[in-house]
Amino acid sequence: MRRVSADLDERCGARVRRVVDFEGFAAQWEPSLHFLVRVQSPDERRSIEDLQHTGLDNLAWVVSDQLEIGDIVVARPFKGELIVLLREADTHHALLLTNRCNSNCLMCSQPPTKENDDWLVEEALETIRHLNWHPQTIGLTGGEPLLLGAGLRRVLDVIGKSLPQTAVEVLTNGRLFADASVVQEVLSGLTTKVRWLVPLYGHANFLHDFVVQAPGAFDETIDGLLTLQEHQQEIQLRSVLISPVLEVLPELALFVARNLPFIREWALMGCEPIGFALANRDTCEVDLVAWGTTLQQTRRVLRTYRIPHVWMNTPLCALPQPLWPQAQKSISDWKNVFAPECEGCVARQDCSGLFAWHERGWKPAPLRTMETSEVNL
Amino acid sequence: MPVRHRLLPDGHIVVTGAAGDFAFFDSEEFDRFRTFPHRLDLRKQADLRARFLLTDGAMSRGMQRLLASRIAAKRETVTAGPSLHIIVPTLQCAHSCQYCQVSRSLDDNGHTMSLSDLNAACDTILESKSNQLTVEFQGGDPLLRFDLVKHAILRIREGAAANRRIRFVVASTLHQLDDAMCAFFKEHSVYMSTSLDGPRALHNANRPTPGRNAYERTLAGIQLAREKIGADAVAALMTTTKASLAFPEAIVDEYVRQGFREIFLRPLSSYGFAKRNQNLLGYSVQDFLNFYRRGLDRVMYWNQRGLELREVYASILLNKMLSTFDAGYVDLQSPTGAGSSVLVYNYDGFVYPSDEARMLAETGDRSLRMGRIGESLNELFNSPVRQQLVEASDVRFMSDCLDCAYNLYCSPNPVDAQAQHGTMNVAAGTTEHCQRHTALFDAIFSTLRTADEDTSALLHEWAQVRETCANA
Repeated sequence: MRRVSADLDERCGARVRRVVDFEGFAAQWEPSLHFLVRVQSPDERRSIEDLQHTGLDNLAWVVSDQLEIGDIVVARPFKGELIVLLREADTHHALLLTNRCNSNCLMCSQPPTKENDDWLVEEALETIRHLNWHPQTIGLTGGEPLLLGAGLRRVLDVIGKSLPQTAVEVLTNGRLFADASVVQEVLSGLTTKVRWLVPLYGHANFLHDFVVQAPGAFDETIDGLLTLQEHQQEIQLRSVLISPVLEVLPELALFVARNLPFIREWALMGCEPIGFALANRDTCEVDLVAWGTTLQQTRRVLRTYRIPHVWMNTPLCALPQPLWPQAQKSISDWKNVFAPECEGCVARQDCSGLFAWHERGWKPAPLRTMETSEVNL
Repeated sequence: MPVRHRLLPDGHIVVTGAAGDFAFFDSEEFDRFRTFPHRLDLRKQADLRARFLLTDGAMSRGMQRLLASRIAAKRETVTAGPSLHIIVPTLQCAHSCQYCQVSRSLDDNGHTMSLSDLNAACDTILESKSNQLTVEFQGGDPLLRFDLVKHAILRIREGAAANRRIRFVVASTLHQLDDAMCAFFKEHSVYMSTSLDGPRALHNANRPTPGRNAYERTLAGIQLAREKIGADAVAALMTTTKASLAFPEAIVDEYVRQGFREIFLRPLSSYGFAKRNQNLLGYSVQDFLNFYRRGLDRVMYWNQRGLELREVYASILLNKMLSTFDAGYVDLQSPTGAGSSVLVYNYDGFVYPSDEARMLAETGDRSLRMGRIGESLNELFNSPVRQQLVEASDVRFMSDCLDCAYNLYCSPNPVDAQAQHGTMNVAAGTTEHCQRHTALFDAIFSTLRTADEDTSALLHEWAQVRETCANA
């Protein structure tokens, strides 16, 4: 989540608000929404306070050079934080629906918590209500969003209704789709077009269950994938490239190709060195260059069976060149950085770069500055 | 969960599972697999589970559903209804091939379809609900009655919904092909399928014509079709005669020389006129296998040199072995595609289940007539002949097939059995069809097991579903 520093009106509270500027807010004002007016002078601030005194209680002011007009924000007063939930200029937009999860993945970038956090659904609905621009895509993440059942469905229905042009992606382990009541709540009669991003880490139960640290997970995820297929839902399968996955990757690819040919694509993703990954460094820290042969074998299987696939979070210097056409510039805007080695690299403009926190964790491979002579594009 | 195995001639064992996935073992590892699978290497165990070759106790619901979806995908073509309709407008042909079962000379008048039968056949074809409809004209040589071919194509096109995809194929020597025919075929996207048996001497020996120039005239036809209809308008098929057996390399090379990207090394069916001349024309399964092996090696040789050439017979078998989708090759479908996905409307006014079945009728065995042209698809499907064909080709119940490792890839061919034994109710193992196909599956599995990366990629590429394969 993007946190910004700001001098904040104490009346801001913990409400979701749309950021407006002093000149523009009057035109956007309506009683059912809440606004955070970015003020640039004491006069502007005083004007807002005057309006508040006349009874306009849906206004608050903020002083910050890190906010953009149209941002949807929420303050966490007890933490003294201001969080940008959605920003128009970003290429990736996501809403966190819960921190709870029924798996416990070795490399989880966002370790789950146990507390009831149903209020996050209400916050997401408020966020959508406050938008005055249309994101191209919006991701719904967790934790495990299927734990919310009907709550997830409310969010999907609202997006479908108020943002009909927006593509929706839900990041889920799919396990709860093995439960008929969840299928009924979430999928039955669903009209919002959703792409489901479902992770798979092995081609046999004991392989996958070990990575997600949850017995029975493999069978439930397979069941869930078939249920999504049965409901004509679009699926992106995802696998994070950590040691236990890389060790079986070509055979996993064969399993995917032969058994799940209905998926829209398979995303093979570099590990984010944060969260549980830091604690499980021995399985999660890999040098992708050393796995080059495995990656090439995997690509061969996927090409043979014509399974669309993308390599994500993988800097180009970590991948064998034949894989480059399927490599995506994928790291979220605010997570993305380049290293000193990237200065002067000819492949930089097509490269995903690195997670901002690689310095506290590790790099996906020893980085290299590519020169024109070694790149055949 | 059925797991079947077979010892390959190279000493390794191939194990096949309920979804059609397979694994190879050496004999020591195979013993462990049979007795103490949990002592196998963990990675191997995972691979076997993922291929439905190993479970502990009952399968989980997820894996059960997955298996069911795999089987459904494989069966889709079998259940999709009649997709290949063959019309035999005439038996007239300018060739007098020794091995040909059916054709009649040009001055023969009695072997041509009546216009009312032709119209009725077209109307029955239009009843078919199948997504991918192919209408093929066989003979004799259909171009000797181009008027009938044209009439049928126009009638079907007019009767079909404008957006319905219908593929028309004319099987012909192409000797009679002219500019006017080409213009019509181009306009209606009609493909040509011709016969090319090999180099000049072999082709002309196999296919005698009064001018002794069958080869030259067919090549001229191919060239004309490519020029006037389209570069990919012509496919060629070869028939392996006794005379061909010594020349597999030369035959493959001829296809390369003529610019074909596919060759189908087809054995000669041993019935009809060919059966009467068994000593003169027949050869053993082993003779064919030796020929085929050499031919396939030659096809590989060209591919290694960067020339794209696909062998259709291997592609059909590989599709069965490697692909999760079935291309629907009629002779290896269980229950048989004959009479279900294929129907033949013959010049004699009757409907037959396959091209071979109507040829059998010419030798006097008319037992495979499904009904008269004009009967509805529903009536044809419920005919006793179709019921018999289905019963005689269901590998789930046939004793010789039940335990065969190739159960999911193969099927008895009841039409073949009828021709060879005079009845379709014979033990599958006694048929030439079974002997040839088990040996071919053996050979291709051995090739796959030892294939280097490039060869393996090529074989997998061939296994992908294609139209030409489906209708071969």
